[in-house]
Amino acid sequence: MSSADRVSSRQLVLLLAPALVLVLLLFGGGFAYSVLQSLGWQPLIGRTTLSLDAYHNLLFAPAYQEVFWSGLIFSLWVSTASTLLSAVLAVLIALLIHQAVQRSQLWSFLFQFNLPVPHLVAAIGMLFLLSQSGLVSRGTAALGLTTTPADFPVLVRDTSGIGIIIAYVWKEMPFIGVIVFGVLKSLNASVVQAARNLGANGWQRFRYIILPLIAPSLLSSSLIVFAFTFGAYEIPALLGVRYPRALPVTALFLFNDADLNSRTEAMALSVLITLVTSMVIGGYLWLRGIAQRLG
Amino acid sequence: MAARHRSTAWLRTLTLVFISMVLVAPLIAFLLNAFARSWFYPHLIPQQWTLEAWARILSPQSDVLQAMGNSLLIAGVVTPTALLVGLPAGRALGLYTFRGKRLVEFLLLLPAIVPPLAVSMGLAVNFLRWGLAGNWVGVSIAHLVPVLPYTILIFSGIFNQYSLEHEQQARALGAKSWAVIWYVTLPLIKPGIVVAGLFAFLISWSQYLLTLLIGSGRVITLPILLFSSAAGGNNLTIAAQAILFTAPALLLLLVTNRLLSTDAVSGLGRL
Amino acid sequence: MRFKVWLMVIVISLFTRVAFAQESLEAPPGFASWDDVLSQANGQTVNWYLYGGSDAINGFVDTFYAPLLAEEYGITLNRVPVADTVDAVNQVLSEAEAGVAENSGAVDLIWINGENFFTLQQANLLYGPWAKTIPNSVLVDWDNPAINLDFGRPVDGYESPWSSAQFHFIYDSARIAEANLPRSFAELTAWIQANPGRFTYIAPGPGGYMGTRFVKQIFFELSGGQDQWLGDFNPTLYNGWAPQVWALLNDWSADLWRQGATYPANENEMRDLFANSEVDFAFTQEISGASVYINDGRLPETARAFAFTENMIGDFNYVAIPANAAHKAAALVLANLILQPNLQAAQVLPENGFGLGFGIDVSRVTETSDRLVLEESAANLGAGAADPAELAAALVSDLAAEYQTRVEADWEAYVLRR
Repeated sequence: MSSADRVSSRQLVLLLAPALVLVLLLFGGGFAYSVLQSLGWQPLIGRTTLSLDAYHNLLFAPAYQEVFWSGLIFSLWVSTASTLLSAVLAVLIALLIHQAVQRSQLWSFLFQFNLPVPHLVAAIGMLFLLSQSGLVSRGTAALGLTTTPADFPVLVRDTSGIGIIIAYVWKEMPFIGVIVFGVLKSLNASVVQAARNLGANGWQRFRYIILPLIAPSLLSSSLIVFAFTFGAYEIPALLGVRYPRALPVTALFLFNDADLNSRTEAMALSVLITLVTSMVIGGYLWLRGIAQRLG
Repeated sequence: MAARHRSTAWLRTLTLVFISMVLVAPLIAFLLNAFARSWFYPHLIPQQWTLEAWARILSPQSDVLQAMGNSLLIAGVVTPTALLVGLPAGRALGLYTFRGKRLVEFLLLLPAIVPPLAVSMGLAVNFLRWGLAGNWVGVSIAHLVPVLPYTILIFSGIFNQYSLEHEQQARALGAKSWAVIWYVTLPLIKPGIVVAGLFAFLISWSQYLLTLLIGSGRVITLPILLFSSAAGGNNLTIAAQAILFTAPALLLLLVTNRLLSTDAVSGLGRL
Repeated sequence: MRFKVWLMVIVISLFTRVAFAQESLEAPPGFASWDDVLSQANGQTVNWYLYGGSDAINGFVDTFYAPLLAEEYGITLNRVPVADTVDAVNQVLSEAEAGVAENSGAVDLIWINGENFFTLQQANLLYGPWAKTIPNSVLVDWDNPAINLDFGRPVDGYESPWSSAQFHFIYDSARIAEANLPRSFAELTAWIQANPGRFTYIAPGPGGYMGTRFVKQIFFELSGGQDQWLGDFNPTLYNGWAPQVWALLNDWSADLWRQGATYPANENEMRDLFANSEVDFAFTQEISGASVYINDGRLPETARAFAFTENMIGDFNYVAIPANAAHKAAALVLANLILQPNLQAAQVLPENGFGLGFGIDVSRVTETSDRLVLEESAANLGAGAADPAELAAALVSDLAAEYQTRVEADWEAYVLRR
């Protein structure tokens, strides 16, 4: 990184200004509104006093707290599992494609095939395939392994979020994989060959050469996946159940509640979700800054 | 040695085939559902085939074609705008260090990790106040919010590995600034531009909540129709619309596929 | 002499009813007369926000209403599909928050009822009262509490009916014989125990108001009748019977689909479970029962509908006009048009309509030809429809709104999360 390059702060401002202005105006304005609403600001129904009541309610009030805490654990579980699985699979597949001499272009395309597929479509596709009366179950029935839908395991709309995780992995694994694959392509093959000649086995080559190379990209793309899955509602809304329920789905329910007062809690929940994802990303940025200063 | 190579190659191919099948399976399910009538358990193959969903969708009264037009228009406007704004920002973040850089990075990344509900409602109310709601211009501006973080990230990664010497040489030879950009910078980062453009297009193409809230129901795009149909539960209609929705994006992916395999995309990992 | 007096009374009451009916029609607020409405509507576009998930309804609106509006009234119909009516409600709310000017709202007419209607009414964002000022309102039985109360709250003329619905069941005649159908919750309990894993119900809650109705109906049967539940929310009555209801539902759990750990969230999910033979019953509220879905290919041809002998909740759904609507005149004309007898007759038919029931009261239709068309429609609801007499005999109205909130919250606490 050419950090030593001299650039005037005026030039810097010029480069960054359009993006910053747009983001602060649009995103900042929108988010500020949500924060305000979460503090109780709802002039439409005559509420103008600010307080932290909604946050308190979510965390401690009997009406909300069970849904909140169970949702928090559920969302954390789903995001962590989805991210870990996606990352591991992405690395494995990227390595496989990288080593495939023949037709790596074809494999690499099949790998990215579902990038344009929106999350809602992914969720519906999973339903088509994995519900107890879905295609896979009909397949096992044809093979004589099951006779009724009830014989087939519960994979979607289940209480453990398995369906949600599968859908997220299906969608996010290529996202991480494409990034890792891009880094792999810059790998100097002669370095690996030299290592092999020196007697390093596959695992050692991976551990000491490949992994350090892909680690930064892998880590940051995984964090993006974690943050995204934690805050998204489409897949959990379609593939999840009433209880336990992912936090973003609860937020939407509260927002659409006929009692407009619930919007305060809905926004408070959205802000809390943002806090979690910001802590994760911010924490990473901070740690990376320290690591860079040390290394 | 050669034998072991052949057998591992064979195993590798098998694994890749299996994984490809898993990745493609849901899309096959959609294809089948788009033409299948009364397809119930335990039938693995549809027993009644029909074109009725397509007849309905492609009929002149249907709003699908108009929705596709809107989706194309908006994504077509958002993409170059995001590139125009994201490129300089990515350049600043990728090439230079400065005080407060991490804060700037964090701020510019924030829209990508904040749940849509937390932003969209406030944005909708503001846009209504400013008269930007209910038309495709307002929707396009709003789409920049989720799109910009990704374009900035990609360009930042590109410029991270970018050497300034070509630009410096050109300038030393007397080229003006705009000429340097046009003849040196842009060609050098062309793969990155394509990737960033692809992501910008895809993200705008699949926006639902923003388009719904900012568009006020006056701007109907394909995701709006799709969500509507999904609520209705008719698999035929859903599958047909989903295919119509995914196809153009898939086409775009095909066209840019070559470039996605290069280092360009590693920028996404450079936070 | 007494006879003559009686005759006079009858004649006078008839006369005054007719005259009263004609004279009671005031002009809608902000308009001088109905003719004024018609002339202002000419050339307007009406933006009708309605649930877009049903191809049948979309097709019906596009085929039957749109051309008529254009040809006879000079109105362009813009049907705006929404995934959920609450999206249209949110649009009106956002516009209010942003201070969008009178007569500039994006939404002219909403297909609405229940909670959504309440949200807008509570925020004073609806235009009205207008429902009794439109000409076809004479065909609506406004004295009927099922119409003048929406989810237990007074309509007060702020919305006008479109169609009606009644909770009942779908079954597969190929799997169960009609004679073996349960006709009460007591019989259903026995059926569930005899057929473990083959029954489920919609989870009461957001999007699951049919599940809430299902549970309310259990309240009615266990407590011996619906009459005591009418009127305002009665906490003593509710708290008295609730424990028994939850106990019953919990007893069922072990024998339910998925052992009662999860439940379908809405009618579609439940219908899919039924169609794919995961469970043996589905809920419906369309007067045409299974017919529309059989035509669509979404249910097997052997699907049929039936009702319990009593306690099947029925209600109406409506259209409402936001206070800031830009094209109120066109919206009023459309709201009036959908009550037209021949169109009402068309909407119940499964093959071209959407199979929901009449919004008007057939007995109030005076034109014989219209009467005949309506009666013919009612007789042609398809093989998948339940016997209308069965439905009528079991019809009860919905309750005060607080019952809905309580049932949904308590079900989640005492049955789902137990």
